[in-house]
Parts: sequence; structure tokens; C-alpha cells
Amino acid sequence: MSASATRTVSVLKGLGFTDAVSIPDGESRYLYQALVDDSDIEVYLPTREGEGIAIAAGLWVGGRRPVVVLQNTGLMEAGDALRGCGIGPSIPLLLLVGWRGYPGAMSGALPVDSAFTYTEPLLQAWALPHRMLMNNDDLGVIDEMTAMAGATSRPAVVVYGHPFSP
Amino acid sequence: MERLDLFRGLAARRSDEIVVTTMTATLQWPLVSTHPLDFDFLAFGMGHASDFGLGLALARPERKVIVLKGDGGLLMSLGSLVTIGRHGPPNLLVLLLENRGYEMTGGQPFSSKVDFVLLARGAGIEKVERIEQLSSFELELPRLLSEPGPHFVVLPVTNSEPLPPVAHTDHTSRVRNLRRALGVDGA
Repeated sequence: MSASATRTVSVLKGLGFTDAVSIPDGESRYLYQALVDDSDIEVYLPTREGEGIAIAAGLWVGGRRPVVVLQNTGLMEAGDALRGCGIGPSIPLLLLVGWRGYPGAMSGALPVDSAFTYTEPLLQAWALPHRMLMNNDDLGVIDEMTAMAGATSRPAVVVYGHPFSP
Repeated sequence: MERLDLFRGLAARRSDEIVVTTMTATLQWPLVSTHPLDFDFLAFGMGHASDFGLGLALARPERKVIVLKGDGGLLMSLGSLVTIGRHGPPNLLVLLLENRGYEMTGGQPFSSKVDFVLLARGAGIEKVERIEQLSSFELELPRLLSEPGPHFVVLPVTNSEPLPPVAHTDHTSRVRNLRRALGVDGA
């Protein structure tokens, strides 16, 4: 059983998040819709992930509390923005990152999606703290990574490996 | 129009607006302004100055956010026009400094066929204009600063002044200083 989108949104609201900048992937479609349906969180849909991270940085500098939702492939695209608008200037963004390729890799299907292969090494290379969100029992990692981002003044990542359920 | 003259005109009429600069604008804007709401975006992310400005404008609806960015930078994030067309708030003013090349790296020209006004309009931004003369810019500036936007203004510029050297100031301090100037808690 994967994590519930509505419960995830409730957790984000409870932590004080005010905005979501998201390019949805297949795994986060229900999460995106739950965010859109929630009147307490403003949702912005950029055209590319690097753009989204820069928007989120501007929101945070202006006093809002954004979360960024993107796929691992988008995180790879957004490298310069993450460096320049997150890690470099000490902006504590929370990123929810979809782990494309995880279910296939876990089932032993071949070929393994290279997006799966390079996600963890990439996060480690950037020294980004990260935890896995696989089901509702893991929802506490959102709180943990939010606190980590705040304590370290760096982005922190929650990786989801399965499609959100409604 | 000469870019530095344009900057002088803007600085003379600017009051409490946030001004986000990037690339060569970061070198010349400080020659005319040392305002606490100036934000040097250099090296924060190539092509993303107006994205950052959009976020700022959304966060601070009570305050105009002016973005001074080049046309080369816009080409690196063209999709951002679509995002501004959809999510751009009334307090966002993007001033596109059009010089048709990558000045920061030696002036390499890009396609001369690009029409930035058409691109912005086609992306859904309603208030798009091109201003060719400094006198016209100075005449229109009070309207651009007071009228609800978002505005996207294409300004063809030249530069005959020597550029000051790049000063790589601490990025964390730039962020902290702007948040402090905005009165954001915890800055």
C-alpha cells in the first residue's frame, strides 16, 4: 500500500507549508490533485524543474514556505538551479522526489531504468539528506526532512518509490 | 539605448520595489543603486532570475518586483514565459535587456530572428511591450511601476562603458540581507 496523497497533504499543512511548486509525474498525480484541491496550499506548475526550484527559492526568500514536488529525472535536469538556489545560498527547501524506475528495479525487470540507478548516487554526491516514503507508515519522514532542512539550512529530500494513492 | 542610462533612469524613479539583477546587470546596477532591496542573482542559476523574481512577487504581493535580465538568459529558460503567463502576479515587472548576444562571455551573437515580444505574447503574458528610446522608457516608467501587471518589457540596449569586474559575494549573505530588508521572520 503506497502513501496516501490526502494524508501527505495533511502532513505538509501541519508543518506549515504554504505553497507547492510541482511538475507532476505519474507517481504523484494524486498528490498533485490533492494539493490543487486543498485551499490552504497554493500550487504552481512550472514548465521545467529548474524553473520550479528557482520559483520556490523566491517564495522562501519572500517569507513563504514552499515544497517542491518533482521526479528524479527532473531533479537531474534541475542541477544548476538546485546548486544555485538551494545548496549554495543555504535555502532550506523540502523536495519530494519521485523515484522513477524503483518498482521495476525491485521486481527484477530488465533493463533497469537509468533514472533509478543514478538517483541515490546523485543525492549522495550533493550530500543531500534523504529518506524514503513508501507507505503511510513512513509519513514521519516528511517531518524529519523538514526539520533537517531547517537545521542544516540546506535542501532535504523525501523520495517516494510508489505512486501515491488518493 | 545605453544600458547604464536606462539604469540611471530606473534608479531615479524606483522607491521601495525589489530589484533582481543578473549577469551584466549585476555589474552595472550597483553603479547607480545601493538599495537594501537590490538583489544580485548572479550565479544563483543560469536563466532563472525571472523565475526567482516570480516567486518573490508571489510571496510579497504588496511590493513590486522588478527583474533586470538579459535576452540570452531568457533563452535558457523560455518556458518561464508560459509560467509567468499563467501564474504571474500583478506586481511583477520583467525588463528584458535585449542585446542579441551573450555579453558576459564575449558577446557571441545568437539568432537575430528571435522576436521576444511575440514569444512573450504567445506564452500568454498580456501586458507586453517594446520600448526603443530612453525618453520613452522614462515616460512610461511611472505607469509600469504603478499599473497592475505582470508586465514584460523588451528594451534594446547597447553598452559602451567598461564593465566592472565580477564580485563573487557570499550567496547566503545576499539571501539573508534581502530577507532582513523585507522583514521576514528568522532572517
